[in-house]
Amino acid sequence: MTRVNTVLGTISASELGFVAIHEHIGYGMPGCELDSRWWKTPEQRYADTVPKLRAFHENTKPWGAATFVEATGICNGRDIDYYKSLSDKTGVHIVASTGFVGGDTALPFFEQASVEYLTDQFVHEITVGIGDTGAKAGIIKVGVSRGFKMKELDLRIYRAAARASRLTGAPIFTHLAVDSAPALAIFAEEQLPCHRVLFGHADDGVSQGKINEKGILDAGGRIGFDTFGYDLELPDPPFWGRHRQERLQHFLRFLNSGLVHQVLASADANCSPLGWAGVKGHTVNYLFEQLIPDLRAEGIADVVIDQLFVHNTAGFLALQPNPQQ
Amino acid sequence: MCVKHSKGAPESVPPFTSLFLAQPGARGLDTQSVNTVLGPIAASELGVTLLSESLMYVLPGAQYAHDIRIDRAEVFDAIAAKLLAFKAAGGGTIVDATGMFEGRDLRLYEALSRATGVHIVASTGQGPEAMLGGYFLTPQTNPPAPWPAHKFADMFGREVNEGMVVPRLERRAPAGMIATAVTVSGMTATDGSLVRGAARAGASYGVPVSIRCGADAVAELQLAIDETLQPERIVMADLDRRDAVANGWPLAVARAGALVGINHVGSTGAQYLSDAERVALIVALIEAGHADRIIVSASATGVAFGAAGNDIAYSHVLTHFVPMLRDAGVTQEQIEQILITNTAQLLSVTGEVK
Repeated sequence: MTRVNTVLGTISASELGFVAIHEHIGYGMPGCELDSRWWKTPEQRYADTVPKLRAFHENTKPWGAATFVEATGICNGRDIDYYKSLSDKTGVHIVASTGFVGGDTALPFFEQASVEYLTDQFVHEITVGIGDTGAKAGIIKVGVSRGFKMKELDLRIYRAAARASRLTGAPIFTHLAVDSAPALAIFAEEQLPCHRVLFGHADDGVSQGKINEKGILDAGGRIGFDTFGYDLELPDPPFWGRHRQERLQHFLRFLNSGLVHQVLASADANCSPLGWAGVKGHTVNYLFEQLIPDLRAEGIADVVIDQLFVHNTAGFLALQPNPQQ
Repeated sequence: MCVKHSKGAPESVPPFTSLFLAQPGARGLDTQSVNTVLGPIAASELGVTLLSESLMYVLPGAQYAHDIRIDRAEVFDAIAAKLLAFKAAGGGTIVDATGMFEGRDLRLYEALSRATGVHIVASTGQGPEAMLGGYFLTPQTNPPAPWPAHKFADMFGREVNEGMVVPRLERRAPAGMIATAVTVSGMTATDGSLVRGAARAGASYGVPVSIRCGADAVAELQLAIDETLQPERIVMADLDRRDAVANGWPLAVARAGALVGINHVGSTGAQYLSDAERVALIVALIEAGHADRIIVSASATGVAFGAAGNDIAYSHVLTHFVPMLRDAGVTQEQIEQILITNTAQLLSVTGEVK
């Protein structure tokens, strides 16, 4: 039996269908809620979001179901009741995260917390529920603070995540794949096999040259090409953008060298950003509108596409307590 | 006590000079009125006022903790009981000085004020740096430059001019004070931006600024004054810390024309004076001619989540500390000046009270 926690309940990994492994309903830095320049009415937020999720649902029809992994950590505007209503009304499975996008998104209460407390927080959210929503987290978010260098708080969060992953079987995904050596050391010390960890944003424009891909791959880790669509060809690209062809060719090098089982892809798009302007025109549906056609044009077979978006993701998301190497 | 206004001539509104902030709204410059959570009231209605309390304190992030449950009904009853005890002891107004990000709950405070009859003034502001969210420290820009003073000034100023925020929902009543703080071990760059931003907004919109001092209260006060905020609109808080007294800051702050916050009455922590020592400090300030520069409060917490509160009653200043002041020879007139007049002048949006 496989089990995956979605915001509307625990389901079999076989029910997930097409999975976008790193997405956001809405992300904002902690404190942005105080700045009314970003506020949107509930009407706006639903109007921004529902059509994208409905299109996502339609786009995934060939795969039978749609799953949207929501990568917004604690303190970043994570809003479980909202996700539940969106999931219920659009039919898209939504997997919510526990954990933090990085130490610099953990508010003082968590910044002051011990590894043990953070572990308890993550385990509780995965096994009991998030707040009083009744929904359980399905994945643990960790990340590297701004500056491309792990900070002490980042490392504390990574260690707690590793312990929570061992206890609950939930996978871990990271914000940024830079400075991975300390992360790999922690996972080894905590005896967490690295196939339970997706090192994310390995494809973004600002991380290139700063990622030890071989180190991650040799340890058994998974590499995230999960910022597809933040293309420098956009009218107003973000600072982490990258040329479309460059990213695609980077990805193809992995697919064409027998590493398809160690990569995952997603768009990291916000349906309705919370504390920033977002990137106009970029949605999760880039995967269908641009990426998959690009892959097919490059001769990538449908079986590989299925492997990426259905089988790799199902294996990764299925809860695996005390996993073996 | 306000000579200028005693003849009934309204003070002319000074020309608006800020390059950064919007024109104050009409309600922002109501003369001799104080911004409470239920709207502006005459400063003369405040009565005994405690300037640095906390109603519901939430250490940022504690609202998401798996093992903390915030039962609003319980919170309401607990705070209401404390407010009613304060009122019974002769209290009139509580200022929640925790700013905009440490548990401020405007709708709760409005209901508490209505139910108890105690005036509640809520504050805008944030600080010190360690209490800020990442939005202000590592924004999604490259590089992630922390917020400068003018952005804090804009955000705090809007909370005075347009109303305080219920995050992502609405604005309610205008803020009555801007509260910030400097890191005790020394001012960080962002602390400096917070102080300057708070001072700039205070100067533009006429509300007072409270600064919990860091490692150099005099320099921190000067930083605010440099933003063209008059010293009498500033209270330097936490000056009943032992290091503050050892450094001579209370007298220096009073001489500079700002208010001296002796705001931990009832606290027995090792870093603070004892109540007996506070009395001596107050007597010394009065003898030096600074009775009009003294603020006394307790920093009592109604309820606290994620951090240790204290069990000091809002009524403690009246029931325990005022008798100690009397025993030390402080006159009733001086006590009323400290607890009623000084606070009313400070909280008046124009800075003066009839």
